[in-house]
Amino acid sequence: MKALSFPALIIFFLLSGCAHGPDTAVSPAAPAAPPQTRQVTAVPDSAKIPPEPPVKSSATETDLYGDIQGPEVDYGNTEIPGKAGGETTGEIADPLEPFNRAMYQFNDRLYFWVLKPVAQGYGKVVPETARVSVSNFFTNAAFPIRFVNCLLQANFSGAAEELGRFTVNTLWGVGGLLDPASSKEINLTKQDEDFGQTLGTYGLGQGFFINWPLLGPSSPRDTVGMVGDLFLTPSTYFSPWYAVAGIRAYEKVNSTSLKIGDYESLKEAAIDPYVAVRDAYIQYRLKKVHRQGGLSPGEKPAAPLN
Amino acid sequence: MKSLTAIALVLLVALLSPSGANAGGPFGPPQPSAKEAGGLHTGIGYWLQEDQYKDGSEQVMRQNQVYSELGYGSGKSWEITARVGMSDLNLPDAFSSSTPATSTSKRDFQEHWKFFGTAGAKGFHPFNQTFGMGVFIQGTYYFSDFSDNVSGNRNGVPFSADLAVRKLWDVNFGAGFQATLLRNVKLYAGPYVHYAEFKAVPSSNVTGIALVSGETTLKNKTAWGGFAGIELPLAMGFSLNMEGQFSERFSFGGSILYAY
Repeated sequence: MKALSFPALIIFFLLSGCAHGPDTAVSPAAPAAPPQTRQVTAVPDSAKIPPEPPVKSSATETDLYGDIQGPEVDYGNTEIPGKAGGETTGEIADPLEPFNRAMYQFNDRLYFWVLKPVAQGYGKVVPETARVSVSNFFTNAAFPIRFVNCLLQANFSGAAEELGRFTVNTLWGVGGLLDPASSKEINLTKQDEDFGQTLGTYGLGQGFFINWPLLGPSSPRDTVGMVGDLFLTPSTYFSPWYAVAGIRAYEKVNSTSLKIGDYESLKEAAIDPYVAVRDAYIQYRLKKVHRQGGLSPGEKPAAPLN
Repeated sequence: MKSLTAIALVLLVALLSPSGANAGGPFGPPQPSAKEAGGLHTGIGYWLQEDQYKDGSEQVMRQNQVYSELGYGSGKSWEITARVGMSDLNLPDAFSSSTPATSTSKRDFQEHWKFFGTAGAKGFHPFNQTFGMGVFIQGTYYFSDFSDNVSGNRNGVPFSADLAVRKLWDVNFGAGFQATLLRNVKLYAGPYVHYAEFKAVPSSNVTGIALVSGETTLKNKTAWGGFAGIELPLAMGFSLNMEGQFSERFSFGGSILYAY
């Protein structure tokens, strides 16, 4: 019975808690966005979760370190005018905080004990230029995700831009290893869209925060989006299964080798890294849902390999 | 005056060179496609290759090649290039019988796409802003065999035989003259020498069909050729290269290049 309660809880929140607010997407790694100094509406410490059911989050104030100054946990439907859906604040409920914190610790150890050492060793053996090329290749191969989600968001110019990028990078970028489409002359911007964002633009809220083992920060909506993205990822269709796992693991090691230090910086800057990561993730996804394709103002495009 | 003499000499050799040569793709303009500061260039292209081989009898070979190209070098002096592509192979009348006693189900050898690789290097010396001259070497190798099957009757007895075309390769060495016109349009031409060969390996011998009468090595009929082409700058860093190689058979193709 106890074993069923957790999945049941997830399904409950998935079904009931997604009608409002925040963002999207699934980013299995450490958060790509810098930590925000406030925002997290969720309760950082399970001991402080009010015993009562959800209360309005309007009065909620949580600082980076999770000191809640008011009642929290709004599963609610705070509709704020956004790109298309209702997401506008970077607040999210965190009813699974004990589980999330445990998974955070697990992922943290996994990063420091396994992923980082492997990525560092890999980085010492493989020159950065080659690693950037590999990263370009995987990005190019993920074109179907971006293209289809541009179409699902009625972002037809973005879809055309993605198609152009894929064509140019595949044909003149040596199968995607190089990224001539990002050059000044061609200047086709990558449309960083996924199913989670698409659901967000349809008005589906994030629901609550969930930290998956291995996959990292997410939400019910982004988890559903991640499954959708899987169907559009070419490597998913490789056989046998361990080939897929190997490709995914290599992609992860390669991408980690290019951003060692990002997670460490975020962690060092925060007194409660869990809250910082959660906050950064939510902000990051919120930002992505609220823009339509391309880059947000101030966002730097990935440097082309020249 | 000195440059004009060189130009005249190159053109003369190119125009008067005997035909019969073969090549595994375009040579490109003498001046490297990379930017002047140096760097990479990439490209995709199509090449229709025709050639004549001989070993006792003569055999025409026709190929459609599509390829992707990657080069690195300095815009004014040198460049190395690699291509990977796929090509079909057609040997017209390869299964035609020379005797009435043998009849076959088809005349032509045909096989679909197989991988090939090409590597090349070139050096360029500009005489002035307009004219320049360069030399190049380029070789192609086919990683896979081509094969086809023929069946028929020999004196009323049915037969079936496979023919494999193995170890097809070539190497080319040449020199080209280049004139750079307005808007950086480049015209070029020059002569080249060439060697190519492949092995024809039948599964059984059939009297009356030259290529199916025992293992043979065929080589290109003549070793000289001439080539000419044009490179047109397009928008956004792309350029279009079109080239023809003249011999007993005419080969031609085009590619779109991008310089980083």
